[in-house]
Amino acid sequence: MKNVSSIILLAALVALGVWLWLVLSPRPEKIIRQRLTQLARTASFSASEGNLAKLAAAEDIAAFFATNVEVDINVPGRVQHTLMGRAEIQQAALGARERLSGLKIQLPDINLTVAPDKQSAVADVTVDVSIGGERDSIVQEMKFTFQKTEDGWLITRVETVRTLSAAILNFALQRAPFIVTA
Amino acid sequence: MVIGRNPKVTLVRAAVLVVICVLGYHFNALRHIRVEGISMLPTYQDGSAHFVSAVPYWLHEPRRGDVVSIRLAGIHVMYLKRIVGLPGETVEFVGGRVKINGRVLDEPYEELFCNWTLPPEKLGPDEYFVVGDNRAMPPENHTFGKVERGRIVGKIIR
Repeated sequence: MKNVSSIILLAALVALGVWLWLVLSPRPEKIIRQRLTQLARTASFSASEGNLAKLAAAEDIAAFFATNVEVDINVPGRVQHTLMGRAEIQQAALGARERLSGLKIQLPDINLTVAPDKQSAVADVTVDVSIGGERDSIVQEMKFTFQKTEDGWLITRVETVRTLSAAILNFALQRAPFIVTA
Repeated sequence: MVIGRNPKVTLVRAAVLVVICVLGYHFNALRHIRVEGISMLPTYQDGSAHFVSAVPYWLHEPRRGDVVSIRLAGIHVMYLKRIVGLPGETVEFVGGRVKINGRVLDEPYEELFCNWTLPPEKLGPDEYFVVGDNRAMPPENHTFGKVERGRIVGKIIR
């Protein structure tokens, strides 16, 4: 009986040690997932947001990205936009908050690959965007490239993924005007 | 609580059922989906609920006319589209009709007016051409095109 108690106590101590180790030194996967979720939450907003809150949120959004970040968004028929650097992201975030009556961003799927040296990572993400006043949401697959820096994991590149690729769609789009938003 | 005449047998049955459910979920044997959007009208209404299964594709490859779910980064949000072109074929739209290798495809499910005319596209050995049934929408507002076999999760079964 004494042996059983000792084994149970030992197992509990090992479990506690593992739990503490996981809490104190979270894996890159967990940190990056949290960063993406925080980014989605920060980028979402409602119509009632004040001007100061808009400015603060735009700054917070820019802080998720590296200074030399490249953002290339191309959602056929909806958005075509290229942003270079944090300042442009901050401007675009502020512009979106000025123009749109609300925005809700959700990330239902995050598929993450961390490089073997644990210094960079690529996240394949399904982005579900609901714009205030619009009935249908926009669903788009996107790729986020992360780099580990002194300031933590920062996004260095964002690009859209063509889940369904069609040269004939490009042909159709050449004849149709884009709706361009920030 | 009623647990059967032989609790051990009941426990084994419950365990087998749990294993089947977990494996079924993991291998996409049966998934419940809810349609959002109008790109599959009139066949599938916005808001309607259905089931998707990967089991048919354990036995054979996807076939023309199958309505399939296509994964994006994962399977919590997927596209629902119909396969019109198979690997190696050439697909084009002429006056609203789909042509496969130059021959018009019979599409009895296609009820809405369509006037798409788009140039031919050759599919690779691992590619399918998928499109929604609602081609009354302008092509630039409709998500369609080539998809790799690995992205096709399953076939709609109800």
